[in-house]
Amino acid sequence: MNQIAGRWDLHGVGSVFLYTHEAHPGEYWPHHTSFEQKLRHARALRDILGVTRPILVDALDGACHLAYGGMPNMTWIIDRSGVPAYKSDWTDSHSVENAIQYFVAAVERRRAGEKLAPFNVERLDLRNADREAFYKGLERNGPKAVREFRAAIG
Amino acid sequence: MAEQSLTERYNYDEFIREKFELGMRFDESPPLGKSAPDFPLWDLDGRETRLSAVCSAHAYTIVEFGSFT
Repeated sequence: MNQIAGRWDLHGVGSVFLYTHEAHPGEYWPHHTSFEQKLRHARALRDILGVTRPILVDALDGACHLAYGGMPNMTWIIDRSGVPAYKSDWTDSHSVENAIQYFVAAVERRRAGEKLAPFNVERLDLRNADREAFYKGLERNGPKAVREFRAAIG
Repeated sequence: MAEQSLTERYNYDEFIREKFELGMRFDESPPLGKSAPDFPLWDLDGRETRLSAVCSAHAYTIVEFGSFT
């Protein structure tokens, strides 16, 4: 997702990472009990995980996260006037970039004089399901995060 | 036993179904094509901004929600 940000910023596309609660609290990165702690964790996303996009932090009560659906790793694409044009309940960089290509192309079509109007489309996209790689990520949060995920999901 | 606040329930301390599924309501999320709700957000220096301010700076803004995992 960092790479998508780099590829499309000159095309008028912004990109942010919106930090929510810890979906898998563990010994090293526990659940949030204060906003100051949440900010510290958010800085670590930049410094340890290498997120290069601007990171924005939701309120401690997750107001924005919950209003937008509360899933652990969603992606939304929102236009300049605050109208969402894409929403996904998980994040897949291919899906997101596919959508951005379409929207940027639509801007060019309008510039060329084509008259366009929005319509709804539904699609079932595919995301990475490498469970072993996911467990590696969980280990970063601590053994508790791994144990609890195995118990809840398998 | 004291009832948990909404904030405490949102920031659950263990990944068990009755805790993590509470807030997962993607089916009830804002529809596409209509103005979506606006919220305050904070940068890494603790400076406040708003989702609308972030989105107004670009033709389109990709907003990825996430955490360490």
